[in-house]
Amino acid sequence: MKKQILTCTVNDQAVEVLVPPYQTLLDALREDLGLTGPKEGCGTGDCGACTVHLDGKPVASCLMLAMQARGRAVRTIEGLAKTGTLHPLQDAFVRHGVPQCGFCIPGVLMAAAAVLAENPRPTEQEIRYGIAGNLCRCTGYTKMLTAIIEAAGAGAPARREG
Amino acid sequence: MAVMKTTRDIKGVGDPIPRADGREKVTGAVQYVADIQPRGLLHAKLLRSPHAHARIVRIDTSKAKALPGVRAVITAADMPQLKKKAPTRAHAVLAIDRVVFSGQPVAAVAADELAIAEEALDLIQVEYQVLPVAVDPLKSMQPGAPPVAEAGTEADTSEALAHSAVALASSETKPAKAVNISQQANVKRGDVAKGFAEAEHILEKTYRVPMVHQGYLEPHAVLAQWDTTGNLTLWASTQGSFNTRSEVADVLEIPENRIKVIPVECGGGFGGKIRALCEPITAELARVTNRPVRYVMTRREELEAGMPAPQVIIRLKTGVKRDGTLLALEAETILDTGAFSGTVLAVSAVFLGSMYKWPAFDIKGMEVLTHKPSVAAYRAPAAPQTIFAIESHMAQIARELGLDPVEFRMRHLIQEGDPMVNNQPWQSNGAKQVLAKVGEHPLWKGRKEWAASGGKDGRGLRGTGFALGGWLGGLQPTSATVRLNPDGSLNVLTGQVDIAGTNISLAQIAASAFGVDFDQVKITTGDTDTAPLTGLSAGSKTIYTVGSAVLQAAQDARRQTFEIAAKEMEASVHDLEIRDGKVIVKGAPDKSVTLASIGKKGNLYMSKIPPVLGTATPAFSQQAPGFAAQIARVEVDPDTGETTLHEFVVIQDVGKAINPLGVEGQMQGGAVQSLGIAMTEGLMFDDAGRLMNPSLLDYRKLTAADLPNIETIIVEVPSPSGPFGARGVGEPPIVPAPAAIANAVEDATGVRITELPVTPERIALGRVAKGNGGARPR
Amino acid sequence: MRRFDLAVPGSVDDCLKALAGNPAGAKLVAGGTDLLPQMKNGLLKPAQVVDLSGVAELRVLAVDGSGLRIGAAVTARELELDARVRARYASIAESGALVGSVQVRNLATVGGNLCNAAPSADMAPPLIALEAVAVIAGPKGRRRLPLAEFFTGVRRTVLGADELLVELVVPDPGSGSGGNYLRHTPRRELDIAVVGVASQVTLAAGKCAKARIALASVAPTPVRATAAERVLEGQALTPDLIERAAGLAVEAARPIADQRGSVEFRRHLVRVLTQRTLTTALARAGALARASA
Repeated sequence: MKKQILTCTVNDQAVEVLVPPYQTLLDALREDLGLTGPKEGCGTGDCGACTVHLDGKPVASCLMLAMQARGRAVRTIEGLAKTGTLHPLQDAFVRHGVPQCGFCIPGVLMAAAAVLAENPRPTEQEIRYGIAGNLCRCTGYTKMLTAIIEAAGAGAPARREG
Repeated sequence: MAVMKTTRDIKGVGDPIPRADGREKVTGAVQYVADIQPRGLLHAKLLRSPHAHARIVRIDTSKAKALPGVRAVITAADMPQLKKKAPTRAHAVLAIDRVVFSGQPVAAVAADELAIAEEALDLIQVEYQVLPVAVDPLKSMQPGAPPVAEAGTEADTSEALAHSAVALASSETKPAKAVNISQQANVKRGDVAKGFAEAEHILEKTYRVPMVHQGYLEPHAVLAQWDTTGNLTLWASTQGSFNTRSEVADVLEIPENRIKVIPVECGGGFGGKIRALCEPITAELARVTNRPVRYVMTRREELEAGMPAPQVIIRLKTGVKRDGTLLALEAETILDTGAFSGTVLAVSAVFLGSMYKWPAFDIKGMEVLTHKPSVAAYRAPAAPQTIFAIESHMAQIARELGLDPVEFRMRHLIQEGDPMVNNQPWQSNGAKQVLAKVGEHPLWKGRKEWAASGGKDGRGLRGTGFALGGWLGGLQPTSATVRLNPDGSLNVLTGQVDIAGTNISLAQIAASAFGVDFDQVKITTGDTDTAPLTGLSAGSKTIYTVGSAVLQAAQDARRQTFEIAAKEMEASVHDLEIRDGKVIVKGAPDKSVTLASIGKKGNLYMSKIPPVLGTATPAFSQQAPGFAAQIARVEVDPDTGETTLHEFVVIQDVGKAINPLGVEGQMQGGAVQSLGIAMTEGLMFDDAGRLMNPSLLDYRKLTAADLPNIETIIVEVPSPSGPFGARGVGEPPIVPAPAAIANAVEDATGVRITELPVTPERIALGRVAKGNGGARPR
Repeated sequence: MRRFDLAVPGSVDDCLKALAGNPAGAKLVAGGTDLLPQMKNGLLKPAQVVDLSGVAELRVLAVDGSGLRIGAAVTARELELDARVRARYASIAESGALVGSVQVRNLATVGGNLCNAAPSADMAPPLIALEAVAVIAGPKGRRRLPLAEFFTGVRRTVLGADELLVELVVPDPGSGSGGNYLRHTPRRELDIAVVGVASQVTLAAGKCAKARIALASVAPTPVRATAAERVLEGQALTPDLIERAAGLAVEAARPIADQRGSVEFRRHLVRVLTQRTLTTALARAGALARASA
């Protein structure tokens, strides 16, 4: 059970790290790369707290083996916006008082960013289905919808490459 | 308890200010327990019993201990302080010789990696002798049922029963002791037999609500580390650091001041993180390995072996006159508490008979032990289940008698001063105002048009329903300090875990009470070494109690500041005010000293001026009930029973919305939890006491795609005792939805569901049973 | 999860070599959406796992003269969104769209869904109703068999421990054909079928030339409702006939009661969903026929 070398891009940085073959992408991000934004809420793909982008698409990182990210581009919440700035979604979430306990928020933002990247002017239903894979127990989702619709209207940027 | 005065301009209270930690949360910068990665960290796993009731014959941990990377394997044999008659669930750290629920911990492992710890569990050999189980509470409460508690524990009330004056449900045979009834209650008034004899309408139904899990996204997590002097530090996801400290100290038999509990950001609690659960065993693993040890429950463990809300079965019988006059109410409420006593039985009994004015009632309550994971609180414990029963019942009475459901309730609704079933008077409350808003709401007024409209593809069945519920409001003593800094800013210290965004409201209260702008205030949540004693972030009481403490501490700091300023300016304290960072003599604005100068003097070498430190240590006796009503507009597929929630409104009396943004968030979040209980959630156990749905695939929480926007209407009927009139906000919104949904579904389909959740299967088969499902599916 | 070794082959041949080297049973992982949860629950404890994500051949999604070729590692999300699949093989796109959530669909593969062979596998009924053929690679080369014969029991398929599902070949059903997949779930997303039904009807001269109805979650494997199919073929599809077929479809179902549904509810849903999918399939067949006329 020797470790293997994972070479990929994470938040636009080239990364090379030794990972156990049985490690998930989620754990590699959190423990080897110190990116603790993505969370484990269930470990089985049923809650969305671990959502990251893989080549721009939202995936459940708890269901991927770390080595399956080889040669690919991963983006976590820490890389959603340039350091020191906020993505329009993040800014809207803050102003509308969306986060309560905050545990689901990184996953929701990554899912929402993916919705807007694929569909810059989504309907409310399209947004609801786009974040339906993200369970939230605190907010009831309503303020999330308000914030996402506002960010969409403000012209959130098109999908970042990778 | 001083009545809050609001004579000065309020700077901050009532403003919808976003939480200060919003930015940290949206960038993933906030740390939860599982994000803390100390050097040398070991990972803990627990071996759990697959059997709901069994004797432990033998445990062999030798192979597990030999696995490279394993640093410790312990069983109850290694912890002599564990008591066979564990008084609480927290004390049942590791099973000694008997397991009483499936999922009960039997052994614990600490290893270099989680994967190694899991393999170590596979290597532990346990020989069980399986025993008969008591799973169904109705069977478990019968004499002769397999016993749950150890004979002689507090939970064993068989002796009390033998001497009790409480009349039980009818039992003709001479019973062996009903060993699994752990609490009983009976409240009575008037003559129910006479009431039923005079009744022109009698309705008797049994309502059932399964156990549900609080559903917080962050599983239980704790990091434990001992230092070289025998002091323990726990980084915990908890709703009450002081409570955690006390419980851990009690279980491990060490002094409380040897333990420091640091409340790390909590990813949801809702009552499930009040009691200690994982902390004692993690502390013990850290002690024997002399390393930091972290234990994070898996989602499966949370569902199988967490501390859910009780299963509740309520038999409710009412007698009324045809014109809707209430005559008599008789009820039995049975709460299935799992393997340890932990329900608030009184809440169920009280709410059944206290919402409306019943001239005669006889309400019995029983808490029953079963071989299932024991319960803890879940946001307004026992209230959603109880209101489901009474509000479903009231809707049926109104429907069967042809009465307007709002007017029928309004006529009989309690008011301030009316006696509850325990003869305590209702405190001031906004129940009537909230109910009135139901009657005025467009969803309610438009219900006939909605019912008549076609529905999706012309085939959906459309209906509307509502329910009224509330929460009495928790009380707990607390303390807070307010400190004036050398630059004129304020530091506020509490021990209160900020679960609901209450810190921003506390800052608003402190700012308003002292007289500075809101951004001059920093709120700190201290750990159990540094913070003054405080209670749980639960019971909808944080703003009510801690807010009061912060208010009083800020007022105390203001008084001290005035005393110092008055001496300096040779003025009277009564002539002073604070504005723009200065203490000013009213009417003489050039006579002033800056707050900063007062703050500096309190920290200056050789100064005779003391530092300004406001403190408050209030205790409370007066509750401030909060009422909420919810209206649901639904459409039901007549053949599959699939129910679409088109619109949903929460109308809630919050007394005073200190932070409307936060209040709305509580109302919406509580409503969706309520809807989950109503429509999709339930822990399902098989006959052997094993959980059949231990994953979030089959323990169904509502997604964004299942819900509409939750409309919120804030009502403000000030409480005489809360800060600025505030009442508790967190719990009322979880209460009404189950009844509202059941009422809406009956309105749409004619099917009355009395067992939660209201699932498509129950609706579809209910329609088939009534013959409506015989028509060609369209 | 417990520890294991991981092989990362770059081709089908390398994959077969990795499997051959592990007669005790290596597990294949593509999307991981079924395998990883099972490993985390301790249901599976393989010593070796073979990762398919680097095998490009398995991700081909192509339309040619004979029909649709779906590589085994094509994701549910790709099938959901692909315009060609949505236009001509609508029921496949519909079933792909229903798997889990977006985050799961971007990982979950059609091959994984079929090889995991849960009775509730959403992608099986539409592929069976469209008469898909499975292409399997093994040490002796490749073999083909109708997908309807691929499943042998709960979580069991014809695949040997040294074999790999490479692709599905779906014959073009023609422009007079329409299909639909519906399932019942308690929630809108993140859920699993209580009952799933796929119907595909092909019209000729206003009558039903071919009907295929496949059911999920009502037997150990996906099943075809052949009696219902027979009553439709050669007839004009009236609402009464469709209702009769829906009743016959119930007889093909052998559901068990479990925590997701009772026997009675499942039988009821088979009737309802068969009636609805046949009606939609018929409408689509007619629309497609008119569109290409």
